Amino acid sequence: MTAVVAAIGRSGARRLSVLGGLARFALGAFRAAARLTRAGRWVTLRVLINQIRFTALQAIGLVTFLASILSFLVISQTVRQLGRLGATDLIGTVIVVAVIRELGPLLTALIVVSRSGTAIAAEMATNRVMGEVTALEAMGIDPYIYLVLPRMLGAIVSVAALMIVFDGVALASGYFGAALSGMHFQRYTNIVLTTLSAKDVWLTVAKGVVFGSAVALFPSYHGLAVKAGPTEIPQAVTRGVVATIVAIFISSALFVVVAAG
Amino acid sequence: MSPLTSHEVRAGWMAQALKWGRPDAAPLAFIAIDLRDRPDHPDHHFDLTVAPGTTVVAIGDEDSGVGDLGGFALGLRQPLSGRAEVFGARIGQLPYYDLLLFRRRIGYHPVGDGLLQNLSLRDNVALPLRFASDHRQAEVDDRVNQLLEDFRLRAVATLRPAAANEEDRRRAAMARALALDPDLVVLEAPFDGLTGRAAQDLLDKVSRRDDGSRRAVFATAQDLVPSVRRMVDRVVKVADGSAVEEKP
Repeated sequence: MTAVVAAIGRSGARRLSVLGGLARFALGAFRAAARLTRAGRWVTLRVLINQIRFTALQAIGLVTFLASILSFLVISQTVRQLGRLGATDLIGTVIVVAVIRELGPLLTALIVVSRSGTAIAAEMATNRVMGEVTALEAMGIDPYIYLVLPRMLGAIVSVAALMIVFDGVALASGYFGAALSGMHFQRYTNIVLTTLSAKDVWLTVAKGVVFGSAVALFPSYHGLAVKAGPTEIPQAVTRGVVATIVAIFISSALFVVVAAG
Repeated sequence: MSPLTSHEVRAGWMAQALKWGRPDAAPLAFIAIDLRDRPDHPDHHFDLTVAPGTTVVAIGDEDSGVGDLGGFALGLRQPLSGRAEVFGARIGQLPYYDLLLFRRRIGYHPVGDGLLQNLSLRDNVALPLRFASDHRQAEVDDRVNQLLEDFRLRAVATLRPAAANEEDRRRAAMARALALDPDLVVLEAPFDGLTGRAAQDLLDKVSRRDDGSRRAVFATAQDLVPSVRRMVDRVVKVADGSAVEEKP
Protein backbone atom coordinates (compact mmCIF):
# COMPACT_ATOMS: atom_id res chain seq x y z
CA MET A 1 0.00 0.00 0.00
CA THR A 2 2.82 2.37 0.96
CA ALA A 3 4.58 1.54 -2.28
CA VAL A 4 1.47 2.41 -4.30
CA VAL A 5 1.07 5.76 -2.51
CA ALA A 6 4.79 6.45 -3.00
CA ALA A 7 4.54 5.65 -6.70
CA ILE A 8 1.54 7.98 -7.09
CA GLY A 9 3.38 10.66 -5.14
CA ARG A 10 6.49 10.30 -7.28
CA SER A 11 4.46 10.53 -10.47
CA GLY A 12 2.58 13.57 -9.16
CA ALA A 13 5.80 15.26 -8.08
CA ARG A 14 7.34 14.60 -11.51
CA ARG A 15 4.34 16.12 -13.25
CA LEU A 16 4.37 19.14 -10.95
CA SER A 17 8.06 19.64 -11.65
CA VAL A 18 7.39 19.52 -15.42
CA LEU A 19 4.59 22.06 -14.93
CA GLY A 20 6.93 24.31 -12.96
CA GLY A 21 9.59 23.98 -15.65
CA LEU A 22 7.03 24.80 -18.31
CA ALA A 23 5.85 27.88 -16.44
CA ARG A 24 9.44 29.13 -16.12
CA PHE A 25 10.02 28.34 -19.80
CA ALA A 26 6.89 30.25 -20.87
CA LEU A 27 7.85 33.24 -18.72
CA GLY A 28 11.36 33.21 -20.21
CA ALA A 29 9.93 33.17 -23.72
CA PHE A 30 7.64 36.15 -23.04
CA ARG A 31 10.39 38.09 -21.28
CA ALA A 32 12.73 37.45 -24.22
CA ALA A 33 10.66 39.82 -26.35
CA ALA A 34 11.80 42.76 -24.20
CA ARG A 35 15.48 41.92 -24.73
CA LEU A 36 15.45 41.86 -28.53
CA THR A 37 18.16 44.00 -30.09
CA ARG A 38 17.57 46.32 -33.07
CA ALA A 39 19.05 43.99 -35.68
CA GLY A 40 17.58 41.03 -33.80
CA ARG A 41 14.09 42.47 -34.24
CA TRP A 42 14.60 42.57 -37.99
CA VAL A 43 15.87 38.98 -38.13
CA THR A 44 13.12 37.76 -35.79
CA LEU A 45 10.57 39.37 -38.10
CA ARG A 46 12.09 37.49 -41.05
CA VAL A 47 12.04 34.20 -39.12
CA LEU A 48 8.47 34.97 -38.00
CA ILE A 49 7.33 35.48 -41.59
CA ASN A 50 8.98 32.18 -42.52
CA GLN A 51 7.23 30.47 -39.61
CA ILE A 52 3.86 31.85 -40.70
CA ARG A 53 4.56 30.62 -44.24
CA PHE A 54 5.31 27.08 -42.99
CA THR A 55 2.70 26.98 -40.26
CA ALA A 56 -0.24 28.84 -41.76
CA LEU A 57 0.06 29.20 -45.54
CA GLN A 58 1.13 25.63 -46.16
CA ALA A 59 -1.67 24.31 -43.93
CA ILE A 60 -4.50 26.28 -45.56
CA GLY A 61 -5.33 23.47 -47.99
CA LEU A 62 -5.63 20.87 -45.26
CA VAL A 63 -7.63 23.17 -42.99
CA THR A 64 -9.99 24.07 -45.84
CA PHE A 65 -10.50 20.43 -46.75
CA LEU A 66 -11.17 19.25 -43.19
CA ALA A 67 -13.37 22.26 -42.34
CA SER A 68 -15.56 21.72 -45.39
CA ILE A 69 -15.97 17.97 -44.82
CA LEU A 70 -16.66 18.35 -41.09
CA SER A 71 -19.13 21.20 -41.48
CA PHE A 72 -20.90 19.51 -44.40
CA LEU A 73 -21.34 16.28 -42.40
CA VAL A 74 -22.45 17.96 -39.18
CA ILE A 75 -24.87 20.41 -40.81
CA SER A 76 -26.42 18.04 -43.37
CA GLN A 77 -27.12 15.44 -40.65
CA THR A 78 -28.35 18.02 -38.15
CA VAL A 79 -30.69 19.76 -40.62
CA ARG A 80 -32.18 16.41 -41.55
CA GLN A 81 -32.81 15.42 -37.90
CA LEU A 82 -34.01 18.85 -36.81
CA GLY A 83 -36.30 19.02 -39.88
CA ARG A 84 -38.17 15.98 -38.63
CA LEU A 85 -38.82 17.81 -35.37
CA GLY A 86 -39.64 21.08 -37.11
CA ALA A 87 -36.76 22.82 -35.32
CA THR A 88 -34.46 23.81 -38.20
CA ASP A 89 -33.96 27.22 -36.59
CA LEU A 90 -31.67 25.51 -34.10
CA ILE A 91 -29.21 24.91 -36.95
CA GLY A 92 -27.63 28.28 -36.18
CA THR A 93 -26.92 27.23 -32.61
CA VAL A 94 -25.41 23.97 -33.80
CA ILE A 95 -23.12 25.57 -36.35
CA VAL A 96 -21.99 28.40 -34.08
CA VAL A 97 -21.63 26.45 -30.84
CA ALA A 98 -20.44 23.10 -32.15
CA VAL A 99 -18.48 24.04 -35.25
CA ILE A 100 -17.35 27.66 -34.93
CA ARG A 101 -16.87 27.89 -31.15
CA GLU A 102 -15.63 24.41 -30.25
CA LEU A 103 -14.67 22.07 -33.08
CA GLY A 104 -13.12 24.73 -35.34
CA PRO A 105 -10.47 25.99 -32.90
CA LEU A 106 -9.85 22.48 -31.59
CA LEU A 107 -9.35 20.88 -35.00
CA THR A 108 -7.30 23.82 -36.28
CA ALA A 109 -4.97 23.58 -33.30
CA LEU A 110 -4.67 19.80 -33.75
CA ILE A 111 -3.79 20.25 -37.43
CA VAL A 112 -1.09 22.76 -36.53
CA VAL A 113 0.26 20.50 -33.77
CA SER A 114 0.48 17.55 -36.13
CA ARG A 115 2.31 19.58 -38.77
CA SER A 116 4.30 22.24 -36.95
CA GLY A 117 4.42 20.99 -33.34
CA THR A 118 6.30 17.89 -34.45
CA ALA A 119 8.64 20.00 -36.60
CA ILE A 120 9.34 22.44 -33.75
CA ALA A 121 10.08 19.65 -31.25
CA ALA A 122 12.35 17.80 -33.69
CA GLU A 123 14.18 20.99 -34.68
CA MET A 124 14.76 22.08 -31.08
CA ALA A 125 15.92 18.63 -30.05
CA THR A 126 18.31 18.52 -33.01
CA ASN A 127 19.62 21.98 -32.13
CA ARG A 128 20.31 20.75 -28.60
CA VAL A 129 21.96 17.48 -29.71
CA MET A 130 24.15 19.23 -32.32
CA GLY A 131 25.46 21.63 -29.63
CA GLU A 132 23.88 24.63 -31.35
CA VAL A 133 22.06 25.76 -28.21
CA THR A 134 25.33 25.71 -26.28
CA ALA A 135 27.00 27.61 -29.13
CA LEU A 136 24.27 30.29 -28.91
CA GLU A 137 24.68 30.61 -25.16
CA ALA A 138 28.46 30.77 -25.53
CA MET A 139 28.02 33.71 -27.94
CA GLY A 140 25.89 35.50 -25.36
CA ILE A 141 22.69 34.88 -27.33
CA ASP A 142 19.57 33.99 -25.39
CA PRO A 143 18.16 30.78 -26.95
CA TYR A 144 14.66 31.98 -26.04
CA ILE A 145 15.13 34.97 -28.32
CA TYR A 146 16.64 33.10 -31.22
CA LEU A 147 14.74 29.80 -31.09
CA VAL A 148 11.54 30.07 -29.06
CA LEU A 149 10.19 33.61 -29.51
CA PRO A 150 9.78 33.61 -33.34
CA ARG A 151 8.16 30.17 -33.25
CA MET A 152 5.77 31.17 -30.50
CA LEU A 153 4.70 34.40 -32.25
CA GLY A 154 4.46 32.50 -35.54
CA ALA A 155 2.27 29.80 -34.00
CA ILE A 156 -0.06 32.35 -32.34
CA VAL A 157 -0.57 34.30 -35.57
CA SER A 158 -0.91 31.12 -37.63
CA VAL A 159 -3.39 29.34 -35.35
CA ALA A 160 -5.55 32.47 -35.07
CA ALA A 161 -5.48 33.02 -38.85
CA LEU A 162 -6.24 29.36 -39.59
CA MET A 163 -9.16 29.43 -37.15
CA ILE A 164 -10.68 32.27 -39.14
CA VAL A 165 -10.14 30.31 -42.36
CA PHE A 166 -11.68 27.23 -40.74
CA ASP A 167 -14.73 29.21 -39.59
CA GLY A 168 -15.25 30.83 -42.99
CA VAL A 169 -15.00 27.53 -44.85
CA ALA A 170 -17.20 25.76 -42.27
CA LEU A 171 -19.93 28.37 -42.66
CA ALA A 172 -19.79 28.12 -46.47
CA SER A 173 -19.82 24.33 -46.65
CA GLY A 174 -22.42 24.20 -43.88
CA TYR A 175 -24.71 26.02 -46.27
CA PHE A 176 -24.26 23.29 -48.88
CA GLY A 177 -25.16 20.70 -46.24
CA ALA A 178 -28.25 22.70 -45.28
CA ALA A 179 -29.17 23.32 -48.92
CA LEU A 180 -29.30 19.58 -49.55
CA SER A 181 -32.20 19.49 -47.09
CA GLY A 182 -33.90 22.35 -48.89
CA MET A 183 -32.82 25.34 -46.81
CA HIS A 184 -32.51 28.62 -48.72
CA PHE A 185 -29.38 30.75 -48.59
CA GLN A 186 -31.20 33.77 -47.16
CA ARG A 187 -32.68 31.74 -44.29
CA TYR A 188 -29.37 30.02 -43.55
CA THR A 189 -27.57 33.37 -43.41
CA ASN A 190 -30.21 34.89 -41.16
CA ILE A 191 -30.13 31.97 -38.72
CA VAL A 192 -26.31 31.97 -38.50
CA LEU A 193 -25.97 35.74 -38.18
CA THR A 194 -28.60 35.87 -35.47
CA THR A 195 -26.78 33.24 -33.44
CA LEU A 196 -23.24 34.67 -33.87
CA SER A 197 -22.23 37.14 -31.17
CA ALA A 198 -19.27 39.33 -30.21
CA LYS A 199 -18.38 36.68 -27.65
CA ASP A 200 -17.59 34.28 -30.50
CA VAL A 201 -15.11 36.77 -31.93
CA TRP A 202 -13.16 37.30 -28.70
CA LEU A 203 -13.30 33.60 -27.91
CA THR A 204 -11.72 32.86 -31.30
CA VAL A 205 -8.98 35.44 -30.69
CA ALA A 206 -8.34 34.19 -27.14
CA LYS A 207 -8.22 30.57 -28.28
CA GLY A 208 -5.85 31.54 -31.07
CA VAL A 209 -3.43 33.05 -28.54
CA VAL A 210 -3.72 30.22 -25.99
CA PHE A 211 -3.65 27.32 -28.46
CA GLY A 212 -0.92 29.00 -30.54
CA SER A 213 1.26 29.48 -27.45
CA ALA A 214 0.72 25.83 -26.49
CA VAL A 215 1.61 24.65 -30.01
CA ALA A 216 5.01 26.37 -29.76
CA LEU A 217 5.80 26.17 -26.05
CA PHE A 218 5.27 22.49 -25.28
CA PRO A 219 7.24 21.11 -28.25
CA SER A 220 10.00 23.71 -27.68
CA TYR A 221 10.23 22.82 -23.99
CA HIS A 222 10.42 19.07 -24.58
CA GLY A 223 12.73 19.49 -27.59
CA LEU A 224 15.21 21.63 -25.65
CA ALA A 225 15.07 19.26 -22.68
CA VAL A 226 16.88 16.54 -24.67
CA LYS A 227 20.22 15.69 -23.08
CA ALA A 228 21.53 12.27 -24.00
CA GLY A 229 21.69 12.23 -27.79
CA PRO A 230 19.92 11.66 -31.11
CA THR A 231 18.00 8.62 -29.83
CA GLU A 232 16.06 10.94 -27.50
CA ILE A 233 14.73 13.07 -30.37
CA PRO A 234 11.70 10.88 -31.27
CA GLN A 235 10.77 10.60 -27.58
CA ALA A 236 10.97 14.38 -27.22
CA VAL A 237 8.73 14.84 -30.26
CA THR A 238 6.17 12.40 -28.84
CA ARG A 239 6.24 14.02 -25.40
CA GLY A 240 5.92 17.50 -26.89
CA VAL A 241 2.99 16.63 -29.16
CA VAL A 242 1.08 14.61 -26.56
CA ALA A 243 1.51 17.35 -23.94
CA THR A 244 0.30 19.97 -26.44
CA ILE A 245 -2.81 17.95 -27.32
CA VAL A 246 -3.66 17.43 -23.64
CA ALA A 247 -3.08 21.14 -22.93
CA ILE A 248 -5.30 22.17 -25.85
CA PHE A 249 -8.18 19.94 -24.68
CA ILE A 250 -7.87 21.11 -21.08
CA SER A 251 -7.76 24.79 -22.06
CA SER A 252 -10.70 24.23 -24.41
CA ALA A 253 -12.70 22.91 -21.45
CA LEU A 254 -11.58 25.89 -19.36
CA PHE A 255 -12.80 28.24 -22.11
CA VAL A 256 -16.23 26.64 -21.85
CA VAL A 257 -16.25 27.26 -18.09
CA VAL A 258 -15.05 30.86 -18.49
CA ALA A 259 -17.47 31.61 -21.33
CA ALA A 260 -20.37 30.15 -19.36
CA GLY A 261 -19.48 32.34 -16.39
CA MET B 1 29.90 53.16 -45.34
CA SER B 2 33.29 52.60 -43.76
CA PRO B 3 33.94 49.47 -41.69
CA LEU B 4 33.11 49.80 -38.00
CA THR B 5 35.89 50.42 -35.54
CA SER B 6 36.27 47.94 -32.71
CA HIS B 7 34.96 50.60 -30.34
CA GLU B 8 31.81 51.05 -32.41
CA VAL B 9 31.28 47.32 -32.67
CA ARG B 10 31.30 46.91 -28.93
CA ALA B 11 30.01 50.23 -27.64
CA GLY B 12 26.35 49.39 -27.13
CA TRP B 13 26.54 46.56 -24.65
CA MET B 14 30.08 46.99 -23.36
CA ALA B 15 29.14 49.36 -20.57
CA GLN B 16 26.92 46.67 -19.08
CA ALA B 17 29.37 43.82 -19.69
CA LEU B 18 32.20 45.76 -18.01
CA LYS B 19 30.45 45.95 -14.69
CA TRP B 20 31.77 42.50 -13.84
CA GLY B 21 35.44 41.78 -13.28
CA ARG B 22 38.38 44.13 -12.70
CA PRO B 23 40.16 46.25 -15.30
CA ASP B 24 43.61 45.18 -14.04
CA ALA B 25 42.84 41.44 -13.97
CA ALA B 26 44.26 38.87 -16.40
CA PRO B 27 41.91 38.02 -19.27
CA LEU B 28 41.73 34.39 -18.15
CA ALA B 29 42.92 32.46 -15.12
CA PHE B 30 42.35 28.86 -14.10
CA ILE B 31 42.86 28.57 -10.37
CA ALA B 32 43.34 25.22 -8.60
CA ILE B 33 41.09 23.36 -10.99
CA ASP B 34 40.76 19.61 -10.58
CA LEU B 35 40.89 18.15 -14.07
CA ARG B 36 40.87 14.53 -13.02
CA ASP B 37 37.53 14.53 -11.19
CA ARG B 38 39.40 13.30 -8.11
CA PRO B 39 39.22 16.03 -5.47
CA ASP B 40 41.28 13.87 -3.07
CA HIS B 41 44.48 14.78 -4.92
CA PRO B 42 45.18 18.41 -4.01
CA ASP B 43 48.74 18.21 -5.39
CA HIS B 44 47.51 17.90 -8.94
CA HIS B 45 45.59 21.10 -9.41
CA PHE B 46 45.65 22.95 -12.68
CA ASP B 47 46.71 26.62 -12.53
CA LEU B 48 47.21 28.78 -15.58
CA THR B 49 47.00 32.50 -16.31
CA VAL B 50 46.63 33.99 -19.78
CA ALA B 51 48.20 37.45 -19.79
CA PRO B 52 46.81 40.29 -21.95
CA GLY B 53 47.94 40.13 -25.58
CA THR B 54 49.40 36.63 -25.32
CA THR B 55 48.54 33.37 -27.04
CA VAL B 56 48.54 30.37 -24.73
CA VAL B 57 47.85 26.80 -25.81
CA ALA B 58 47.09 23.91 -23.46
CA ILE B 59 47.80 20.52 -24.96
CA GLY B 60 47.09 17.07 -23.62
CA ASP B 61 45.70 13.64 -24.34
CA GLU B 62 41.99 13.10 -24.75
CA ASP B 63 41.62 11.83 -21.19
CA SER B 64 43.83 14.51 -19.62
CA GLY B 65 40.89 16.87 -19.02
CA VAL B 66 42.27 19.49 -21.43
CA GLY B 67 38.99 19.34 -23.35
CA ASP B 68 37.09 20.68 -20.33
CA LEU B 69 39.08 23.90 -20.04
CA GLY B 70 37.18 25.78 -22.77
CA GLY B 71 33.85 25.01 -21.11
CA PHE B 72 35.19 26.17 -17.74
CA ALA B 73 36.48 29.41 -19.31
CA LEU B 74 33.04 30.19 -20.78
CA GLY B 75 31.13 29.13 -17.67
CA LEU B 76 29.43 26.39 -19.67
CA ARG B 77 30.63 23.79 -17.17
CA GLN B 78 31.71 23.92 -13.55
CA PRO B 79 34.87 22.24 -12.31
CA LEU B 80 34.52 19.93 -9.29
CA SER B 81 36.94 22.14 -7.43
CA GLY B 82 38.81 25.34 -8.24
CA ARG B 83 37.55 28.15 -10.46
CA ALA B 84 37.95 29.96 -13.76
CA GLU B 85 38.20 33.74 -13.70
CA VAL B 86 37.66 35.87 -16.77
CA PHE B 87 38.80 39.49 -16.42
CA GLY B 88 38.77 38.87 -12.68
CA ALA B 89 35.13 37.69 -12.56
CA ARG B 90 34.27 34.19 -11.37
CA ILE B 91 32.42 33.34 -14.52
CA GLY B 92 30.78 30.23 -13.08
CA GLN B 93 29.09 32.31 -10.36
CA LEU B 94 27.33 34.85 -12.61
CA PRO B 95 23.53 34.65 -12.90
CA TYR B 96 22.34 33.32 -16.26
CA TYR B 97 21.41 36.56 -18.02
CA ASP B 98 24.43 38.41 -16.64
CA LEU B 99 26.55 35.51 -17.85
CA LEU B 100 25.09 35.80 -21.37
CA LEU B 101 25.96 39.49 -21.44
CA PHE B 102 29.43 38.92 -20.01
CA ARG B 103 30.21 36.23 -22.59
CA ARG B 104 30.00 38.85 -25.33
CA ARG B 105 33.48 39.93 -24.21
CA ILE B 106 34.74 36.46 -25.12
CA GLY B 107 35.03 34.94 -28.59
CA TYR B 108 34.47 31.20 -28.59
CA HIS B 109 35.25 28.47 -31.07
CA PRO B 110 33.81 25.17 -29.77
CA VAL B 111 35.07 21.71 -30.69
CA GLY B 112 34.09 20.98 -34.30
CA ASP B 113 32.83 24.39 -35.28
CA GLY B 114 29.46 24.89 -33.58
CA LEU B 115 27.99 26.51 -36.70
CA LEU B 116 24.19 26.50 -36.97
CA GLN B 117 23.35 24.07 -39.74
CA ASN B 118 20.24 25.84 -41.02
CA LEU B 119 22.09 29.13 -41.59
CA SER B 120 24.53 30.07 -44.34
CA LEU B 121 28.13 30.77 -43.37
CA ARG B 122 27.37 34.48 -43.75
CA ASP B 123 24.37 34.33 -41.42
CA ASN B 124 26.41 32.33 -38.92
CA VAL B 125 29.05 35.07 -38.88
CA ALA B 126 26.32 37.70 -38.49
CA LEU B 127 24.57 35.90 -35.63
CA PRO B 128 26.35 37.54 -32.65
CA LEU B 129 26.06 40.97 -34.26
CA ARG B 130 22.34 40.54 -34.84
CA PHE B 131 21.36 39.06 -31.52
CA ALA B 132 24.11 40.10 -29.12
CA SER B 133 24.78 43.72 -30.11
CA ASP B 134 22.78 46.93 -30.55
CA HIS B 135 23.70 47.63 -34.16
CA ARG B 136 21.55 48.60 -37.07
CA GLN B 137 21.18 46.20 -39.96
CA ALA B 138 23.47 48.31 -42.19
CA GLU B 139 26.20 48.32 -39.54
CA VAL B 140 25.89 44.57 -39.12
CA ASP B 141 26.20 44.07 -42.88
CA ASP B 142 29.36 46.22 -42.99
CA ARG B 143 31.01 44.29 -40.20
CA VAL B 144 30.05 40.93 -41.70
CA ASN B 145 31.41 41.93 -45.12
CA GLN B 146 34.65 42.99 -43.46
CA LEU B 147 34.97 39.64 -41.66
CA LEU B 148 34.11 37.61 -44.77
CA GLU B 149 36.82 39.52 -46.62
CA ASP B 150 39.40 39.05 -43.85
CA PHE B 151 38.73 35.32 -43.59
CA ARG B 152 38.48 34.83 -47.38
CA LEU B 153 34.92 33.54 -47.18
CA ARG B 154 33.22 35.73 -49.78
CA ALA B 155 32.99 33.01 -52.44
CA VAL B 156 31.39 30.50 -50.08
CA ALA B 157 29.40 32.87 -47.87
CA THR B 158 26.02 31.67 -49.09
CA LEU B 159 26.74 27.98 -48.50
CA ARG B 160 25.30 26.09 -45.55
CA PRO B 161 27.96 24.52 -43.28
CA ALA B 162 27.23 21.02 -44.60
CA ALA B 163 28.04 22.17 -48.15
CA ALA B 164 31.31 23.89 -47.24
CA ASN B 165 34.67 22.21 -46.73
CA GLU B 166 36.22 21.81 -43.29
CA GLU B 167 38.65 24.70 -43.64
CA ASP B 168 35.92 27.13 -44.71
CA ARG B 169 33.70 25.99 -41.84
CA ARG B 170 36.59 26.59 -39.45
CA ARG B 171 37.20 30.03 -40.98
CA ALA B 172 33.53 30.89 -40.58
CA ALA B 173 33.52 29.73 -36.95
CA MET B 174 36.61 31.86 -36.24
CA ALA B 175 35.10 34.88 -38.00
CA ARG B 176 31.96 34.44 -35.88
CA ALA B 177 34.10 34.28 -32.72
CA LEU B 178 35.66 37.63 -33.68
CA ALA B 179 32.43 39.34 -34.75
CA LEU B 180 32.23 41.49 -31.61
CA ASP B 181 36.02 42.07 -31.56
CA PRO B 182 36.33 40.40 -28.14
CA ASP B 183 39.13 41.01 -25.64
CA LEU B 184 39.66 37.28 -25.19
CA VAL B 185 39.21 34.35 -27.58
CA VAL B 186 38.85 30.76 -26.41
CA LEU B 187 39.46 28.11 -29.07
CA GLU B 188 38.76 24.41 -28.59
CA ALA B 189 40.74 22.11 -30.88
CA PRO B 190 40.83 24.84 -33.54
CA PHE B 191 43.48 23.30 -35.78
CA ASP B 192 42.18 19.73 -36.04
CA GLY B 193 42.10 18.63 -39.67
CA LEU B 194 43.77 21.81 -40.96
CA THR B 195 47.08 22.07 -42.78
CA GLY B 196 49.89 23.79 -40.88
CA ARG B 197 49.66 26.74 -43.24
CA ALA B 198 45.90 27.19 -42.76
CA ALA B 199 46.30 26.89 -38.99
CA GLN B 200 49.04 29.54 -39.01
CA ASP B 201 46.90 31.88 -41.09
CA LEU B 202 43.89 31.48 -38.77
CA LEU B 203 45.90 31.89 -35.57
CA ASP B 204 47.48 35.04 -36.97
CA LYS B 205 44.05 36.53 -37.73
CA VAL B 206 42.57 35.53 -34.40
CA SER B 207 45.41 36.95 -32.33
CA ARG B 208 45.26 40.41 -33.93
CA ARG B 209 42.56 42.88 -32.98
CA ASP B 210 40.91 45.28 -35.42
CA ASP B 211 43.15 48.15 -34.22
CA GLY B 212 46.31 46.06 -34.81
CA SER B 213 47.04 45.31 -31.15
CA ARG B 214 47.24 41.71 -29.92
CA ARG B 215 44.39 40.05 -28.09
CA ALA B 216 44.53 37.31 -25.50
CA VAL B 217 44.01 33.87 -27.03
CA PHE B 218 43.60 30.62 -25.16
CA ALA B 219 43.45 27.41 -27.19
CA THR B 220 43.24 23.73 -26.35
CA ALA B 221 44.56 20.94 -28.56
CA GLN B 222 45.85 17.41 -28.42
CA ASP B 223 49.08 18.50 -30.07
CA LEU B 224 50.54 21.37 -32.09
CA VAL B 225 52.43 21.28 -35.36
CA PRO B 226 55.85 23.01 -35.08
CA SER B 227 54.89 25.89 -37.38
CA VAL B 228 51.97 26.83 -35.13
CA ARG B 229 53.97 26.18 -31.98
CA ARG B 230 56.42 28.87 -33.06
CA MET B 231 53.60 31.44 -33.17
CA VAL B 232 52.37 31.02 -29.63
CA ASP B 233 53.76 32.62 -26.49
CA ARG B 234 53.22 29.70 -24.11
CA VAL B 235 52.51 26.03 -24.45
CA VAL B 236 51.49 24.04 -21.37
CA LYS B 237 50.99 20.33 -21.34
CA VAL B 238 48.29 18.97 -19.08
CA ALA B 239 49.75 15.93 -17.39
CA ASP B 240 48.36 14.17 -14.35
CA GLY B 241 46.00 17.08 -13.73
CA SER B 242 48.73 19.74 -13.60
CA ALA B 243 50.17 22.22 -16.10
CA VAL B 244 53.70 21.50 -17.26
CA GLU B 245 55.37 24.31 -19.16
CA GLU B 246 56.79 23.37 -22.58
CA LYS B 247 58.96 25.30 -25.00
CA PRO B 248 56.90 27.08 -27.65
